[in-house]
Amino acid sequence: MTRRVYLDHNASTPVHPEVVADMLPYFGEIFGNPSSVHAFGREAREGMDRARERVARFLGASADEIVFTSGGTESDNLAIKGLAYARGRGHFITSRIEHHAVLRACQWLETQGFEVTYLPVDELGMVDPGDVKRAIRPDTIGITIMHANSEVGTIQPIAAIGAIAREHAIPLHVDAVQTFGKVPIDLDAMGIALLSFSGHKIYGPKGVAGLYVRKGTKMVTIQHGGEHERRRRAGTENVAGIVGFGKAVEVRARDMAGEAVRLAALRDRLWDGIRARVPDVKLNGHPTDRLPGTANISYRNVESESVVLGLDLKGIGVSAGSACTSGSVEPSYVLVAMGVALGWAMGAVRHSLGRSTAADDIDYVIESVEPIVKKLRGALPVGAR
Amino acid sequence: MRYSPTLIDHFLNPRNAGLMRDPDGVGEEQDAGCGDLARFFLKSARGVVSDVRFQAYGCGPTIAAASAASELITGRALGDVTHLEATEVERAVDGLPEDRKHAADVVARALRAAARACLGGAPEGG
Repeated sequence: MTRRVYLDHNASTPVHPEVVADMLPYFGEIFGNPSSVHAFGREAREGMDRARERVARFLGASADEIVFTSGGTESDNLAIKGLAYARGRGHFITSRIEHHAVLRACQWLETQGFEVTYLPVDELGMVDPGDVKRAIRPDTIGITIMHANSEVGTIQPIAAIGAIAREHAIPLHVDAVQTFGKVPIDLDAMGIALLSFSGHKIYGPKGVAGLYVRKGTKMVTIQHGGEHERRRRAGTENVAGIVGFGKAVEVRARDMAGEAVRLAALRDRLWDGIRARVPDVKLNGHPTDRLPGTANISYRNVESESVVLGLDLKGIGVSAGSACTSGSVEPSYVLVAMGVALGWAMGAVRHSLGRSTAADDIDYVIESVEPIVKKLRGALPVGAR
Repeated sequence: MRYSPTLIDHFLNPRNAGLMRDPDGVGEEQDAGCGDLARFFLKSARGVVSDVRFQAYGCGPTIAAASAASELITGRALGDVTHLEATEVERAVDGLPEDRKHAADVVARALRAAARACLGGAPEGG
């Protein structure tokens, strides 16, 4: 059997065995609707309450500031539209490298009469807090900036942006789907009013996520129905998923610091190994202010999809920074926003490491990628790009 | 796997990849949409393709299609190659997914251009 190495943890992670164990009873004996008043319902609610406490404690928040949702995308939509609709009109500030959940929610708001400023980033993928300050208008009603970008891993200066937001009394929403449980988040020091975070990026189940809403933040719901989640998100809760999410958070609270150090060393081993063997490569994103497990590497004049296919055939799962579909070439909009030249952007490959990643996996990837890139470059027209 | 074993084989072990000195004809085409590029060098003897080399930039299927097509046309009459259809190139890699059909198209167009160049003809479309 081909060896299998999974280096796509920014896309999703396997559910931690301790999480699975905690969830299992909620598919069987504990099945009640948490809104029901009888014992069956109360048992389900107890599991959910415990999970909410765990998440709140991890964030240094209170339990009633945590809203469970179906995913990072819903959390982002609830935060942005919830802020916007509570105010009726006004101006938002975001960046050009946000996740589509944020970008498209903002674009939607533009069709509804709101205005949005999309801030540029520098060549390392960093938003300039000075740009945030300059973009603020009297009618600015929200700022939404991601904590770290999923493709390149650059970590934004949220504390500086949060200080500006606080100074102008504008709520700051942070999409922390890629950082929650991976790097420390201090809601108060960072001036965060709303924070999106997700379960399946931290060894929890898919289909469950959260939104932190600071007490006193003026919001409306975008999904109407029952009284669930303190009327901030209608719909019977995904009890088993929420229980698993809570356990995943507890496990991360225990493992996060040690894992960050271990992954950063492996990430650097990967980059050092590749650049020592393969010519014409470049690391995208900030060299130090970066997610511990993320290495986005460009192979110049090679199409990333070919590298991904070559590695897939060696049992290695990574993701391409560009997508070649019939009819259009799509270099990553994140790399384009960073000003990465097309010949480099088209060859960007993201490696995202995680719990299961070992040093010999990294060495196997380094050994595997060298001949693939060499072969692809061997067939390359001179000056093709 | 969304690609055929034949396609994967050509991708992993491309035949006739590289440059050719003194070719009798060169043809190059690029996909207008995704930018994939194929360039073929042909040598001919008595109106028949005697040697082929290709260079390609693009996704795996484009590289594989170029490799498979290079084998397909070796020994074939240049006149035939000027009429090479994308469907024949696609058959040589045992099929392509719908969103990768352009791989066969760009390769067939480049090969037709190379064959016409060998015959001293004008480029396709004037």
